[in-house]
Amino acid sequence: MSALTIAESSAVVGELRRARRKRRVASIHWIDALYQVYITGLVSVVVVVLLSGAIGDDEVSVAGIADVKDHGPAAAGLLVALAVFLGLRSGSRGGPLALERPDVRHVLLSPVDRGVALRGPAWRQLRFLLAVGAAVGAATGQLIVRRLPGNAFEWIVFGALYGLTAVGLGYGSALLASGLKVKHWVASLIGGLLLLWSAGDVIGKLPLSPFTVVGHIAVWPLESDWLAIIGVALAVVLVIAGMRWVSGVSLEAAERRTALVGQMRFAVTLQDLRTVLVLRRQLSQEHPRSRPWIRAARRTPRFPVWHRGVRSVARWPLSRVVRALLMAAVAGMAMRTVWNGTTPMIVVAGLALWIAALDAAEPLGQEVDHPGRTDTFPLPRGQVFILHLPILFVVSVVIALLGAAVAVAPIGSSVPVGPGLFTAFMAGLLAACGASVSVIQGAPDPVDTLSMVTPEIAGTRTVIRTAMPPAIAILGVTPLLAARASFLGAQEPPPINAAMSLALPLALVVVLVAGYIRFRDEIRKWMADASEQMSPTKAAERQREERLAEEAREAAALAESKRLAREASSASQRAKARQKPKTSKPVSPPPDGVRGGTSAKPIGRKRDQT
Amino acid sequence: MSEAQPAALVATDLSKTYDDLVALQPMSITVPPGQSMALIGHNGSGKSTFLRMVAGLLDPSAGEIEIAGFDLTDVEARATTSFLPDDPVLYDDLSLREHAEYISKLHGGDGWDDYAESLCVRLGLEERIDDLPSRFSRGLRQKTAIVLALVRPFSLLLVDEPFVGLDQPGKLVLLDVLAEVHAEGAATLVATHDPSYVERVDRSVALRDGEVIFDGTASVEEVLHLVGG
Repeated sequence: MSALTIAESSAVVGELRRARRKRRVASIHWIDALYQVYITGLVSVVVVVLLSGAIGDDEVSVAGIADVKDHGPAAAGLLVALAVFLGLRSGSRGGPLALERPDVRHVLLSPVDRGVALRGPAWRQLRFLLAVGAAVGAATGQLIVRRLPGNAFEWIVFGALYGLTAVGLGYGSALLASGLKVKHWVASLIGGLLLLWSAGDVIGKLPLSPFTVVGHIAVWPLESDWLAIIGVALAVVLVIAGMRWVSGVSLEAAERRTALVGQMRFAVTLQDLRTVLVLRRQLSQEHPRSRPWIRAARRTPRFPVWHRGVRSVARWPLSRVVRALLMAAVAGMAMRTVWNGTTPMIVVAGLALWIAALDAAEPLGQEVDHPGRTDTFPLPRGQVFILHLPILFVVSVVIALLGAAVAVAPIGSSVPVGPGLFTAFMAGLLAACGASVSVIQGAPDPVDTLSMVTPEIAGTRTVIRTAMPPAIAILGVTPLLAARASFLGAQEPPPINAAMSLALPLALVVVLVAGYIRFRDEIRKWMADASEQMSPTKAAERQREERLAEEAREAAALAESKRLAREASSASQRAKARQKPKTSKPVSPPPDGVRGGTSAKPIGRKRDQT
Repeated sequence: MSEAQPAALVATDLSKTYDDLVALQPMSITVPPGQSMALIGHNGSGKSTFLRMVAGLLDPSAGEIEIAGFDLTDVEARATTSFLPDDPVLYDDLSLREHAEYISKLHGGDGWDDYAESLCVRLGLEERIDDLPSRFSRGLRQKTAIVLALVRPFSLLLVDEPFVGLDQPGKLVLLDVLAEVHAEGAATLVATHDPSYVERVDRSVALRDGEVIFDGTASVEEVLHLVGG
């Protein structure tokens, strides 16, 4: 019993991996490979066309160029800070690698060098991410050159270099956090502070962030700064250090990750947001508290569904509470920014409240996750779901009002109290509606007849499914725009009245969503029936079934008729046998007006009497 | 056993908590080389948590583990410890033979050998050696895991709920194999619900709610009394 040398480890692990890869590649059909290439190409072209449309072709003014020079590096640095933040958090949860579970059990528990076992997959993953980063960076550079001055080649090269650096820093941080077993809260804290520093630098409230230095790579063709090379060097150092310490990965985190990441990717492919949320919570070990924050009352609850929701919220783990507060703060800050003129921040406010509401929709999600249990309740599923909405509305509105507190705080240019509170109330309601739609709709049907008819329908449905819930949440913040328009205009009607003028249409959205939740099953059944009726194949099948049923009915009638005829015939024969010799019977004359016959001929056609 | 030989396992103040849930209270235990030990307790008592920490699959919240004189993080500790889990974890695209070959080589062995073959025969897997275990039933997968835990060298065998999913012949073979392994000088640590197993071991440790409530030689009746069976 001895440890394997690095060379031996490398030989054993490499041999098997090569054999398995060969087998896997051999099992991929060329049509599938071609289809993947086609889909990737198609998506890339669509993204580039959309981006190019968004960027436009007009040359940026001199003032605009100066603005890009001033704020561009900080903004680009913010993206790098985000990559590092995500990398640190992923690493603290056993990422960025997602090994196979048997690899954890058999390879990492064997006496091979763990570095050898892990560096191969890490390099492969890094190679792929670097290629994506470089491609995205180069494509962005190529698009930017249409609006900003400079050499196209330079923009493409430095765009690619920026992408490579961002990936290197993010991936290196992840590997290092994983190898050094950095605690999750420590990683979140460090990453969060770096992110805040960069965000503060973007708005000019904090001194130069280290990532702004890296961001200079992105605007190099406008203004070269040799300090930016430090960022590239730092990325290289981080990746090398990460590879050096990769063997320190926690097997507990790695094994948990192996099981969940694959499922999560699959759920993302299916746009199944609920499953993604549940798996993400498992990955981050976000479990409900064993002891609730508030103890339950002993008496029997009068409204059990409401009570069940309250108990669920009372067990929120601290991390979820912190996230809800953070989202409230983000929404509040975004509302302030909207009030001060940056209209697109309405999207950030709506999305933040929607994310918070997704957490609040957990009791509803639990019912959706267990349809077998819901079906045993003596009331329709839709009704059970509706009964879960009040607690969701309450929690979501409370979070939104906390956001409003940030928005109306009398520091600097704040949102007036009236419009702020009203907007928060409506935004909370609509965010809850968006979250409940996200949770209720779940994964798409595996066999969707309507979508299979034409790809256009499938595409449209996918877009609606994905965009509808956040769009509903964003709609909830629109009263702020109405109030702002009034505030900036003649103030007629006053801002609060302008905001409240949207109350009715938004309330209608709430009613529609509630109706959808209540009657979703019925609507789906009706749609399935309708789509079946529309199908030509189904119509032909239906005609055939009707014809067969008609033939069966005719055959049964014929058989019954024959039976009756046989019975009538045998009764007649028995009567004849019992007949006494005929005696003359006096026949009374028929009454006037009656022309009835006295014939004993059997009823029916000749062929039916046999 | 030589006196100078280090203990097969030394766990000192080992504990595991998940947020506010205590899975294992601080536990100290020493397993001498070659000792057979049963870890008994009802569901949630901390048996599997303890074994998984010793195997290196769970990070202890506190405490230290030493295996054959090596720290748990040392590669020598991994070379010494074999873990037979209650949930067999197998590759989807490798046959039983390929699994055994690979694991043997990872531990410096020659690959498929007569011992692996004989284990398969004893467990009734001789016809399935070239089949994919991913298509096996629960019991056959468990038998595959037994083969994989034994085809490599070890001096400490950790076994978690070994009889789950096994048919009666399989259970008997496993009991025989555990006895053979013990006879050859390996220490065995078996977590089980089966009270009758305690009669076959040198020592029994009973756990309740993550705490050691008994450590010594126990009869079946005592075990039933201890774990509430």
